[in-house]
Amino acid sequence: MQESSTATTTNGPAKWGMAVDLDRCTGCEACVTACHAENNIPTVGANQAAAGRAMHWIRIERYFEGEFPDVHVKFRPVLCQHCDNAPCEPVCPTYASSHTDEGLNAQVYNRCIGTRYCANACNYNVRFFNWFNPIWEKPLHLQLNPDVSLREVSVMEKCTFCVQRIKEAKIDAKRDARPLADGDVKPACVQSCTANALVFGDLNDPESAVSRLSRSPRGTKLLGDLGTQPKITYLQREG
Amino acid sequence: MDRRQFIKLGAATSATATLAGCGNPENQLIRFIPEDDLIPGISVWKPSICPLCSAGCGVLVRIMEGEAEVIRNGQLGLIKMGLAKKLEGNPQHPVNQGKLCVRGQAALQVTYHPDRIANPLKRSGERGSGQFQEISWDDAIAELVSQMNALAAANDQKSLGFLTRPLRGQRQRLVAEFLSRFGAPAALDFEVLGEDVMRRANARSFGYDQLSTFDLAQSRYVLTLGADFLGTWNSPVSQSVGYGEMRQGRPGIRATFVQVEPRMSQTGANADEWVPIKPGTEGVLALGLAHVIMAARLFPAAAAGRAGAQVAGWANGLPAYTPQEVERITGIAAARVERLAREFAEQRPSVAIIGGAPLAHTNGTFNALAVNALNALVGSIGQPGGVYFTPRANVGGAQAGTAQAGRTIDKVAAEILATERSPIQLLMLGEANPVFGTPPAWRVKEALAKIPYIVSFGNFLDETSSLSDLILPDHSFLESWVDDVPESGAMVAVASLAPPAMRPLHQTRAMPDVLLDLGRRLTPAIELPWQNYQAMLQAAFSTLPAPPAPAGEEPADVWRTAQAQGGWWGEVAARPAAAAAQGQAPAAYTEAQFDGAAAEYPYHFLPYASQQFLDGSLAHLPWLQELPDVLTSAMWSSWVEINTQTASQLGIVQGDLVEVGSGQGTLRAPVFVSPAIAPDVIAMPVGQGHETFTRYASGRGANPISILAPVLEAETGSLAWAATRVRVSKVDGDGGLILFGGSLREHSEEHR
Amino acid sequence: MSRIAPNQMTDDLLRPLLHTTWKFYAGVAVLGSIVLAGLGAWFYQVYMGLGITGDNWPVFWGFHETNFVFWIGISHAGTLISAILRMVDATWRRPVTRCAEAITAFALMIGALFPLIHLGRPWLAWWLIPYPSERMIWPNFRSPLAWDFFAINTYLTSSLLFLFLPMLPDLAVVRDKTTGLRSKIYGLLSLGWQGTPKQWHRLEMAMHIMAIAIIPIAVSVHTIVSFDFSMAVVPMWHSTIFGPYFVAGAIFSGIAALIIAMALLRKILHLEAYLEPIHFNNLGKLLFTMSLLWGYFVFNERLTTWYGNETHEMAAFWITQTGRYAPLFWTMVFCNFILPFPFLAIRKLRTITGCVIASCGVVVGMWLERFLIIVPSLSTKPITYSWGRYMPQWPEITIMIGSIAAMVLLYVLFSKFVPLISMWEMKVGEHPEVKEAASVAAAQEAGELL
Repeated sequence: MQESSTATTTNGPAKWGMAVDLDRCTGCEACVTACHAENNIPTVGANQAAAGRAMHWIRIERYFEGEFPDVHVKFRPVLCQHCDNAPCEPVCPTYASSHTDEGLNAQVYNRCIGTRYCANACNYNVRFFNWFNPIWEKPLHLQLNPDVSLREVSVMEKCTFCVQRIKEAKIDAKRDARPLADGDVKPACVQSCTANALVFGDLNDPESAVSRLSRSPRGTKLLGDLGTQPKITYLQREG
Repeated sequence: MDRRQFIKLGAATSATATLAGCGNPENQLIRFIPEDDLIPGISVWKPSICPLCSAGCGVLVRIMEGEAEVIRNGQLGLIKMGLAKKLEGNPQHPVNQGKLCVRGQAALQVTYHPDRIANPLKRSGERGSGQFQEISWDDAIAELVSQMNALAAANDQKSLGFLTRPLRGQRQRLVAEFLSRFGAPAALDFEVLGEDVMRRANARSFGYDQLSTFDLAQSRYVLTLGADFLGTWNSPVSQSVGYGEMRQGRPGIRATFVQVEPRMSQTGANADEWVPIKPGTEGVLALGLAHVIMAARLFPAAAAGRAGAQVAGWANGLPAYTPQEVERITGIAAARVERLAREFAEQRPSVAIIGGAPLAHTNGTFNALAVNALNALVGSIGQPGGVYFTPRANVGGAQAGTAQAGRTIDKVAAEILATERSPIQLLMLGEANPVFGTPPAWRVKEALAKIPYIVSFGNFLDETSSLSDLILPDHSFLESWVDDVPESGAMVAVASLAPPAMRPLHQTRAMPDVLLDLGRRLTPAIELPWQNYQAMLQAAFSTLPAPPAPAGEEPADVWRTAQAQGGWWGEVAARPAAAAAQGQAPAAYTEAQFDGAAAEYPYHFLPYASQQFLDGSLAHLPWLQELPDVLTSAMWSSWVEINTQTASQLGIVQGDLVEVGSGQGTLRAPVFVSPAIAPDVIAMPVGQGHETFTRYASGRGANPISILAPVLEAETGSLAWAATRVRVSKVDGDGGLILFGGSLREHSEEHR
Repeated sequence: MSRIAPNQMTDDLLRPLLHTTWKFYAGVAVLGSIVLAGLGAWFYQVYMGLGITGDNWPVFWGFHETNFVFWIGISHAGTLISAILRMVDATWRRPVTRCAEAITAFALMIGALFPLIHLGRPWLAWWLIPYPSERMIWPNFRSPLAWDFFAINTYLTSSLLFLFLPMLPDLAVVRDKTTGLRSKIYGLLSLGWQGTPKQWHRLEMAMHIMAIAIIPIAVSVHTIVSFDFSMAVVPMWHSTIFGPYFVAGAIFSGIAALIIAMALLRKILHLEAYLEPIHFNNLGKLLFTMSLLWGYFVFNERLTTWYGNETHEMAAFWITQTGRYAPLFWTMVFCNFILPFPFLAIRKLRTITGCVIASCGVVVGMWLERFLIIVPSLSTKPITYSWGRYMPQWPEITIMIGSIAAMVLLYVLFSKFVPLISMWEMKVGEHPEVKEAASVAAAQEAGELL
């Protein structure tokens, strides 16, 4: 548990966060499929999707504003906000939902007993439950990422900020005996983002791109008034 | 039973149980010696090229060791092999610059699809019944050889046809060489939502017969007419990268973006200003802007040069396109036209982009020429922030001729149906699905049925390939040598190249190698100078100039560096614009013609390339089926979009089943009630409605192409797919619309 | 209260124990098969996964959790009523207490099953038990679900004790009235009760202590159940009123269940002489009080939400007032308030039938109330894009019907093996001390005045 984070900066562990520039986001959804591919998220099929069981750790929310012809649309990518004051964490009776020392909201799949309380407590609705055992019709199972554990039936799952990529970047940095640089870690959604709307990095490093963007006057937090202290900053559109 | 017996029995039972535990067939398979040298748990990133659309993005494939069931020497067994795990954009590639769109991300599932054709197949039932039996490659090729030899013996080589989606690079060259040496006519290209109108217009206006490349990153004002340039049109990844920069990439500068279209696309949803317009009048708006600009003397008519000369009345300042007249035709207020014109001329560099439905009207070429002239007027051609034409890398010498000009699938189908004996006796079918992608009036399916022998290179059974007599499944792109020459999307010349990223999973063979093999076996043989496709690529790429080497070093081997980085790119000598064709009359506005009288069919029917399935060729990928469409959040569904007011007049609510009828037929689909579509337009995504296309797409939803009228664009003769009018009525039944999202609005006023 | 000879009373009250008719077997068979069907549905759910229920994203809780709160609510019938009435020495309680305490015990057993039923991986439920493990992993004591675990277990233990202790003298009577194996079992169960003054004294003392102790336990249990919701920052859940609101609702539904149970017992076991209109009348008055209290809480809850007009709350508010769940909401108001009002407020209508009609309404209404607390809020959480809906599927409906059958079955079996009316307390009541007689008279008088 208390694995010493390989010194990214001299100031102790990182605090991973993201900035989402809504002025760049085009709603292309490359992040959505990238996330599915990276994180072994099951496809549930038409019937289950109709029953409200589709799983998308990241989604693009679309909101219409106004009426024809003066109509506008807002896109907003929503994924786990990795709240510093996460409502999902205290409610889990088995600590399956817990905070890591790098500020991630971790979901310990083995520890999850399926109360689904965390998902109810989460106001962002970014937690997804395995209502059935996931199926990969052969040979689709060959696409599975060996770095990410598969979840079985009755386990809650959610965005991990691609913790496997964080680990990999740290291991690479350690191997090369260099500090982890800003931009070394790119979750799948960030990597794929065609308009570079998503930026990921260490919020404890004041000079990282994500820290600089998070200080932008355009920055807002999603449902920030709930006091959840999300680690994702949304930069509002201009104009 | 005594105690001893019981113990014996117990022991036997547990032994059986233990053995049964090994009964897992995987554990009974033999294990082959690995062919790849991989370290478990370590990933290797190999270059490849995304084949799903014509943008030609470069990808990197993450290869990791895994265990797959494969057949080696006729024996099924397990092998540890390098398996593709993830696709990402190739950061070095000039088109997509490290990014990959939603469809490209899902391209992985093409290789691992459970319904991929794993063996050569020979038809065993009635044509179209979908009944095939597996045969060996030797038998399959022998059968095809005998069919082709019979053609040659009868001196009937010209009745060999090759129908494919437009090929590029060395594949295109190989097919062309093969056909011409056999004595067959050139390949017949087919694309559902083709771009011939744009190419024709660019050729007329600028002398380049290709799609444009936009330098959005440096634009300050972007005016789009119908083009879904961030989603599905032209080179969407390249354009999205530019879009991000144009919005927030320059400190203190943020470009304005106006989208003009009757139905809000994903791209339109990002616009600062969304302007609905009467379908088929886009060119009039462009000329209206030009009129205002010229009248205000912001730019002289002469500035548009050759592009201006393509438009009737240009030199006189377009007197017919006053803002009032434009308002009458397009439905956009005159004051707005004037404002847009001033913004366009003053916030430079500005660029106008036209694409999609405006070009799919009967007056499509006019619309495109008008926009080209507008761009030329404000000096946006070949200038930063404007329109460019990607230089072409000259790979392997002269390109063989492109597809037969003017020979399109509708004409060929008509020819076949009109004659007793089909002019095509043997059809080779690449990846193209015209049965799904053409209006029923063209009777393509009937025509194909009249062709005595069809051989397909497809990976999947779809509406067209299921009509074939023989299927010689191609490798997936990850399993084969791939190359491409992107038409647009890059500022430098690009020739993409990649070796196979992984070994074949099934008993498939690369189509180019099959053609080469076939050629050698024919009597008389077709002697092509290459042993295999790899050799052909090597020969072609070796002709490219090596990048300048530092003094004293050998220039790098182009063939090797191109393989390592996923292609060759660099500056080439500028290609001169083709001379203007003589005697071509300048284009003037003619009202777009629509199939169906407005009284009987009150709505314009607007099919559009869907975010998930593009033209329908990707409906078989489960990741894309379950992807919520970004505007409607629909998954696994078809739907028609209807304006809120129109819906309430028709008594239709979200999810109701409606029947959409044109003069050509009807279809049924659930309704998505949208505020972002004009009241007289019904829009529907292309992609679903496959009869036969793997377990994930078959029998799902409806196909808008199936009710399209066979209206043609006047100048190019390509399908005017936005020129059908329809009526809509509510019918009983469950629409089956599956939505991911709940409310349409952030601050729901549902209960106020 | 009519006078019944002690011997007659013993015969009357022991009759169900000693004589078994085919109706009993038929009843047990029918109820048993329904319970088995419910169990089957649950096993199927465990085997397949919760996907066979109607739960979904974002309505992760539905019928199972509604039933959990409902049954825990019903369980407040007994203990609380009998404890309060014991403490204030209301003598009319005597024939009622055991019925009520039995409801508590059984409803709680069933209610406590639902957290298990609703779990995705029930085989890991033992992780909620705080046992010292070598990895030092404890349950998360910050989780209201962990509080639930302790609260419900405490309540279950104490209500079983509360039911069992006053049964001792009666079990001893059965022991003495029967022979053979049965006598031995009852002998074992009666823990050597001889009826010595010392034993009587100890029993009285124990009951006094229990009665005092169990009231805070009962109040805390339903408060903690309410915390399952009010601790989460979910619209219309995150409310300070939930504690008392849930307790009041629980007592409300508990009394209603008790009235229904008593009416059924009266009819089926021919206890007309013991469960008299006066008992229904008094319980009806209590029910009326709770109905008013419940209405007061609902009004408070709704008014403050509406007046506050907070965006996220209003979505959950309006969906129950005028939106998709409005029919259920107004049915609930009708069942819990409008329907019981005339039957309970007007003395002439406060008959056994009237009380039963009102109680039936209340049980249905209170079930709806639990549903309306859980589902609409989850389907309208703050992010409107993630709004959803919920439709129960057959497994959870079967499990719910099974739970009702289980309640009845347990009651039937209980009535078969234990006298449902506390014989010794009735007999004590037959020879009232002066003080006690006065209070009976006073109570009756008060009853007539109302």
